[in-house]
Amino acid sequence: MANVTKNYVTLPQVKDIPFRLGLDLQGGSQLIYEADVKSLPEAEKSTALEGVREVIERRINIFGVSEPVVQVNKTMSGSYRIIAELAGIKDVQEAIKMIGETPLLEFKEVSDKPLDTSSADAKKLTELNKLSTDQAKKVLAQAVKGDDFVALAKANNQAQSVGVGSDALTVGSENDGDLGWVTEDVNSELVKPVKFLAKGQVYKNIITTKTASHIVKLEDKRLRSDKKTMEYHLRDISFPIYTAADLAAVNSANDSNINWQSTQLTGKHLKRAVVNFNPNDGTPEVSLEFNDEGAKLFEQITTRNIGKQVAIFLDGYPISTPTVNEKITGGEASISGSFTAQEAKLLAQRLNTGALPVPISLVSQQTVGASLGQQSVDNSVRAGLIGLAIVALFMILFYRLPGLLSVFALVIYGFISLAIFKLWPVTMTLSGIAGFILSIGMAVDANILIFERLKEELRNGKDLSKAIEDGFSRAWPSIRDSNFTTMIVCFVLIEFSTSVIKGFAVTLLLGVIISMFTAIFVTRNFLKLMSNKWLTKYHWLITSVKNKKEVVPATELK
Amino acid sequence: MVLFVTAIVFISTWGLKLGIDFTGGSLLEVKFGANKPNVIEVSDSVKDLKLNSLSVQPSENSFILRFQDSSEDVHQKVLVSLKKLNDGKNPVKAENKGTSTTVVATTGFEELNFTGIGPSIGQELQKKAISAIILVLIAISLYISYAFRKVSKPIASWKYGVATLIALFHDTVIVIGFFALLGKVWGVEVNTSFVAAVLTVLGFSVHDTIVVFDRIRENLPKSADNFEDTINRSVNQTLTRSINTSMTVMFVLMSIVLFGGSSIKYFALALFVGIFFGTYSSIFLASPLLVVWNNLKKKI
Repeated sequence: MANVTKNYVTLPQVKDIPFRLGLDLQGGSQLIYEADVKSLPEAEKSTALEGVREVIERRINIFGVSEPVVQVNKTMSGSYRIIAELAGIKDVQEAIKMIGETPLLEFKEVSDKPLDTSSADAKKLTELNKLSTDQAKKVLAQAVKGDDFVALAKANNQAQSVGVGSDALTVGSENDGDLGWVTEDVNSELVKPVKFLAKGQVYKNIITTKTASHIVKLEDKRLRSDKKTMEYHLRDISFPIYTAADLAAVNSANDSNINWQSTQLTGKHLKRAVVNFNPNDGTPEVSLEFNDEGAKLFEQITTRNIGKQVAIFLDGYPISTPTVNEKITGGEASISGSFTAQEAKLLAQRLNTGALPVPISLVSQQTVGASLGQQSVDNSVRAGLIGLAIVALFMILFYRLPGLLSVFALVIYGFISLAIFKLWPVTMTLSGIAGFILSIGMAVDANILIFERLKEELRNGKDLSKAIEDGFSRAWPSIRDSNFTTMIVCFVLIEFSTSVIKGFAVTLLLGVIISMFTAIFVTRNFLKLMSNKWLTKYHWLITSVKNKKEVVPATELK
Repeated sequence: MVLFVTAIVFISTWGLKLGIDFTGGSLLEVKFGANKPNVIEVSDSVKDLKLNSLSVQPSENSFILRFQDSSEDVHQKVLVSLKKLNDGKNPVKAENKGTSTTVVATTGFEELNFTGIGPSIGQELQKKAISAIILVLIAISLYISYAFRKVSKPIASWKYGVATLIALFHDTVIVIGFFALLGKVWGVEVNTSFVAAVLTVLGFSVHDTIVVFDRIRENLPKSADNFEDTINRSVNQTLTRSINTSMTVMFVLMSIVLFGGSSIKYFALALFVGIFFGTYSSIFLASPLLVVWNNLKKKI
């Protein structure tokens, strides 16, 4: 307690913590959905619900609602509810529409269609290819002029393999462009133009294939051992021609540059997703299981995308972009990547909600306009203050000095409670305020009990300080018992009720606990601070009740 | 006693007018522009939607519509109809015709608050409310039986618990009866906060009862008088306190009833009535019950 008081006094920034207002006070919507999980096995229910909760929260976040509250509740009858509280939301209708949509899961592949010429990517592509052909022309001129071909090849050939025609021809290991002995059948594109050249000559034009521009030198030619076909020893300098797919591969670090195109495969084809661990190295993977149609589609997609990326999109955003290693049949796939077990779990959860969209239906909604809330607050706060003023007046008139002290204690009680409401923080609802006002009544009750007892003890002839002591100690059991019962009621309310009543119960509970402290501890110490002699002299300050005995000045002064 | 019987009669003949919290349904509060339509115009405007058990009630600056359907679809349709009615009565002034936002601002139509509760939720809440009240009653009785375990003469401590239970039951019935009357006469509906109010009344009433019992607990061992007189003395000793406490709480509640926001008005009223009779029952019901019980035992 002392701690809280200290915080309140010494830390100036506490002032800046606003009360957390409930929906009824600041306006907003509470939406309650019922999730239909009947079709799910028991074990998967909580995962699915957690997934739905998360999806709803993400969707709400798009609306810019501050601190949305989304909870999953199990009702007594065993159905599941998802409660979303959107404070200060403007367009509830739109929010309801957004939340109600089932999560959208899509599989996409890299588009091999030329990108839109107007797009930045297309421009970049043209530029790259222009650079490439310019360089090819320059090198050709040098080669024709008689510069060392091997040196040129080493300077310009790229380390990667160059796919030419149907056969993948790899550039010589030292990048000297040596293609070795080839026949016309194997590589007609390169052999045909150069086969009539003399040995050691460079072809004067650039040979353009699908993937690259080539400068080719015929090193040697000979008749094969079968004496029928010629084979040619070629040396090649190649300059790649970039396609959209290449650009995509280059930019794969930067997903937004990829031109993703939709496939027909979506979340409705997914049977389920689970987290597995790779038996070899123990890394987490997410296994997907498709239904029959999905399996077929998936096979087609993987067949045409070997070595390329496919992407899994959730609600329009790529959540995973694995690379296809081989054609996948049988409708099962796994997404491996550098994710942690936690991330894998999350992904599986998201996929499952996309695939098994637990149907949710709106069963209840409550919307409070902000203006109505404000009016209620103003009225209620005013009512509370008026009530308090009357109580204070009553206490002072009836109990005189102790009454005044108890009003001080009450003010301290108010400060402590409000500080706790802010720091905890307790969400303030209208009924919460009612609970707070009520707890003030209970705080006063404790003091009344004590003061009545005090008067009684005085009547019985005790001297003042003894009467004060006994007044407090004798009143304690009934204060304790009565407050305990109130706490019992509060616990039941917190456990059993809707959020509105919960607010009431929480503030009442806190109020009762704090008031036990202030009404007894604070008031008692105030009374002790007063000089006993002084109090005895001005006996009328305490009560009009006179001691039966002669008033003897107390010897034991505190 | 007369009140108690009357309350039971009220409850059994009229019953409580349950709010949509319990029955399911919709409550829509809308504000119209400067030219307010009347009740008939409002109900006519939504006639085509064939709303079940529609009621339209004018409020200070607004209209409150209640109907059985609770779907979002119906809600939007109702809003569209009402807005059309309002825009017809409050045409947009020519100079204000601009973007659609300014149009909305000038016609003065506003949805103040909407609650739509599915029937399943309502039933669930009813069950919850009843079980909460029963649970509280039992918990309090058990606690009192425990707190007074040391006072077993001349009557057993559990009898204090039972006496409290009877007093609490009496309070609950009177509050519910009072609201049955309000529901009949002014159409006051009870909602979830009414349940909270009843539960709070139980808490308060038990305060009073405990204070008296506590005095009995203290007086009994050293009392030279018989049981009946001891109890009588205890009640008298705590009388001022009981009345003063209830009065301070009722001051606060009264000010909420008179000046507070409309949504907690009936909440405070329920508390007010409950606390008044709670004080009454702890003085005139719970303690005398102990005496009656004790005398009964003697006769047998």
